[in-house]
Amino acid sequence: MQLNAEHIAYIIKDLHYRGIVAEGIQDELVDHVCSATENRMQQGHRFIDAYHDVLKSFGYTQGLRKAQFETLHAENHKTKIMFKNYLTIAVRNLRKNSFYSFINILGLSVGVAVCMIIVFFVIHELSYDSHHKNADQIYRIKSEIIFGGNHYNMTYAPAPIAETLPLEIPEVEAAVHFRERGSYLVKRETENIKEKNVIWAGKDFFKIFTVPMLEGNPEKSLEEPNTMAISKRTAEKFFPGESALGQTLILDNRWNFKITGVYEDMPATSHFHFDIILSMEGLSEAKSPSWLSNNFQTYILLHPDADPKAVEDKLMKLVMDHIAPQIAQVFGDDFTIDKFKESGNKIEYTLQPLSDIHLKSDLFGEFEPNFNMAYVYLFSAVALFILAIACINFMNLSTARSANRAKEVGVRKVMGSYRSHLVRQFLSESILLSFLSFIIAIGIAYFLLPVFNDLAGRQLSIPFGSISFYLFVIGAAIVTGLLAGVYPSFFLSAFKPVNVLKGNVSLGMKSGFIRSSLVVFQFFISIILIISTLAVFNQLNFIQTKKIGFNKDQVIIVEDADVLGNNRIAYKNEILKNSMIVSGTFSGFLPVSGTWRTDNPWWAEGKNPAQSENLVSIQNWAVDSDYLKTLGMSIKDGRDFSEAFPSDSSAVILNETAVKNFSFDGSPIGKKILTFQGDEQGFDPDKTESLTVIGVVENFHFESLKENVGAVMLFLSKQPQGYLSFRFQSQDTKAVIDLLESKWKEMAPDQPFTYTFLNERFGNMYANEVRLGKIFGIFAAFAIIIACLGLFALTAFTAEQRTKEIGIRKVLGASVTSIVVLLSKEFGKLVLIAFILASPVAWWAVNKWLEDYQYKITLGWTLFAVAGLAAFVIALLTMSFQSIKAAVSNPVNSLRSE
Amino acid sequence: MHSPELLKGTLQTIVLKVLKDHGKMYGYEITQRVKELSADRILLTEGALYPTLHKLEAEGLLKTEIVNIGKRMRKYYTLTAPGKVEAKERVTEFMDFIKTMGNVLNVQMTS
Repeated sequence: MQLNAEHIAYIIKDLHYRGIVAEGIQDELVDHVCSATENRMQQGHRFIDAYHDVLKSFGYTQGLRKAQFETLHAENHKTKIMFKNYLTIAVRNLRKNSFYSFINILGLSVGVAVCMIIVFFVIHELSYDSHHKNADQIYRIKSEIIFGGNHYNMTYAPAPIAETLPLEIPEVEAAVHFRERGSYLVKRETENIKEKNVIWAGKDFFKIFTVPMLEGNPEKSLEEPNTMAISKRTAEKFFPGESALGQTLILDNRWNFKITGVYEDMPATSHFHFDIILSMEGLSEAKSPSWLSNNFQTYILLHPDADPKAVEDKLMKLVMDHIAPQIAQVFGDDFTIDKFKESGNKIEYTLQPLSDIHLKSDLFGEFEPNFNMAYVYLFSAVALFILAIACINFMNLSTARSANRAKEVGVRKVMGSYRSHLVRQFLSESILLSFLSFIIAIGIAYFLLPVFNDLAGRQLSIPFGSISFYLFVIGAAIVTGLLAGVYPSFFLSAFKPVNVLKGNVSLGMKSGFIRSSLVVFQFFISIILIISTLAVFNQLNFIQTKKIGFNKDQVIIVEDADVLGNNRIAYKNEILKNSMIVSGTFSGFLPVSGTWRTDNPWWAEGKNPAQSENLVSIQNWAVDSDYLKTLGMSIKDGRDFSEAFPSDSSAVILNETAVKNFSFDGSPIGKKILTFQGDEQGFDPDKTESLTVIGVVENFHFESLKENVGAVMLFLSKQPQGYLSFRFQSQDTKAVIDLLESKWKEMAPDQPFTYTFLNERFGNMYANEVRLGKIFGIFAAFAIIIACLGLFALTAFTAEQRTKEIGIRKVLGASVTSIVVLLSKEFGKLVLIAFILASPVAWWAVNKWLEDYQYKITLGWTLFAVAGLAAFVIALLTMSFQSIKAAVSNPVNSLRSE
Repeated sequence: MHSPELLKGTLQTIVLKVLKDHGKMYGYEITQRVKELSADRILLTEGALYPTLHKLEAEGLLKTEIVNIGKRMRKYYTLTAPGKVEAKERVTEFMDFIKTMGNVLNVQMTS
């Protein structure tokens, strides 16, 4: 039996009434119900009974709706479709609010770029020396010696230790010792090249360290005297296009060395970069039996199962057994180690893991300046903070704009959106944003990296070839998107549709304690960074201008003056003839670090040297009679050296610290000081030599201002060596250099002419501080730029929100100024709070940093005032652009629009 | 009548197989055919049938054709080429399953 048109119309209407409305399923269900009804009617039921029977089999309205719902669900519940939908809406939203999106993306990508660079840097720093296969079994011997009023933490150990350890301590598999002797002039035939990275090393070098040998036998390479291994780049420099193996190079015009190995250039992440390794077998000093002089950096390879603590104890015992008799020989037979220790002295050798060297070690005698773990932490923290500031921008803008999106949320919820849908919607928006930012960030990082490399003295690059980099970036983008989006999404999705659609939820600027605290946090970080930067620069300025006891300007240093040989004096005299040159002096000992140092104990005449408190550990500097004059040091007492006094060959000039340490009775002038005569084999306690004090020189800083001024004595040397320094009086430094070089070429052909300026070398001592200051300055700038971007958008938003209010105020007679103040007041307050919170933290942090310096600035309130004012002014400028724009707009326009 | 719980996982297989054997069908027809084939022991509820049909359509295993029959529309379902392959696979898979179940249950019964 067929249903008639009326019945069908009834069914369609009834089903529609029951809520079956979805396109695609409605017609189908109507047909189904009709067919089923027809079926029943065929069995003799009335239409209405048959229809109700069918409805019953569906489960009435509930069942029908459930079928509809599940069909729609089955059709649409595919993550792909949902994701596409989220993405479409996200893209539309971003485009609709292009101003805010732009600020968000810009802020985030700059933040991420900075963060990325720092992450590269930190990874680089942490990977030092990890390329050695046995990295976790290699240790360096560290020595701590307190003696004669001096305290040393050194990388140096006695010469015999390297040979003794593997023999006497079973856990030690091998040991290698190094000896630095500065740079060498290296030539193949005639022309010398100055090589700086030259080292003497024991034969087990290649056994302990993983340095791949390209040519030659790594085990045999350093076995013979007068042999050497060189790096690939050195080989290419001296022997372009041919094999270097078996060839000979001449060092310092005197010694022939045969090349027995060519090795791969050492990677950047190594704490040493030797280009030439000379066999220690040829160095007589290395055979010295003395356990008292420490000159050799020594590394040992432990057995994999060895306990370093146990080895350390054995090492200590071993060293003491060897040292004690040798000290006793110097101090007389009544000497015992206990007595030695009682008078405050100390000799201690410990093991330092290889992996700790780059980040945790700052000893006397490091091969290269190391980095500091504290800075790694500091940089990581700063990176996180900058990222946080950028994420906060996103959170703040999203929640601030919530008023505009509240209606959207309300409508969505009414249409049946779950809260989870909304959360997903907002999260996908923020993740999309974060992805865009990361892509742009890679671009920014690419252009910023060379600048950073320049500053930090590293060669970092973006690892475009590594898959883990991309995985990391994608992971980080998702995490950042989630972090930045989680608060806004939960905040927005929690709106009650009833309130929102009625217009009750107006979440403008007033609400949002969290938003305010986030702004405070941003400026808190920015202000700390500004204060730190200012403090670092202040300290640098203090160092540059502090009275350092000598005149560092207008002094040029000619290096390797020794190669002039017999022409040395002639060269100096020739130069002095020129009117630009004031004076010149020969000495390897200069008041900047990196120049020569020699330390010996002396005592004042009449005191007993066997009592160690009478010994004064003092720098022994061999100079000539023009030294003080050339370097601009001033005599405080007595007189300078003079050629008019032949007796000055046994005269000495002390600095103020030395005078104090010797504790003379009365005036030091005319007093005698003594020391044991010594040679490379150690001191001879029976022979002494003495010098007479003729003058006292004002204290001058000869190491970084981190150190106190130590005791120094200057004495005349018959033939001082090393640098030849000239004081000149001319603005035209180029002419000075030309003069020096042309004469050099005449008198020392084939020898490289190298020079530096004293103030340059002085500046280099603080290169790290300058770097730190610059890097911090840049970070601070980025932090404040990103924070201001957020502030800029927030003010723009407030102004937009309050257009009507501003219009009414203006109609009622408010001035532009009062409106600007009104709009800026709120954020101004937040910046002020941030400043109050940041100041003590910054004060603490900066003081912590300054603790390292013996001579330092005191933190005055002006520094904080300047930083606070700077932050405030920058914030104000940022805000004023938007608030002035809002304030000067014509009220007619804002009030008319409705 | 078989419990709906048992039917749950086999619904798609039934729909595919019925469509494979009979070609073009509409929703009500499918329920009736299954009822017939199972001698009234399997009753497809509409609440489960339509979601299944729409899902299979969204996956591209079914195609549809709408025919106007007087006052109302009727939607016919047929298998697509991948649908036919899938139908065969599902049936084979189900036979395997029956076999496995038989083994499992036998083992348990004899033990």
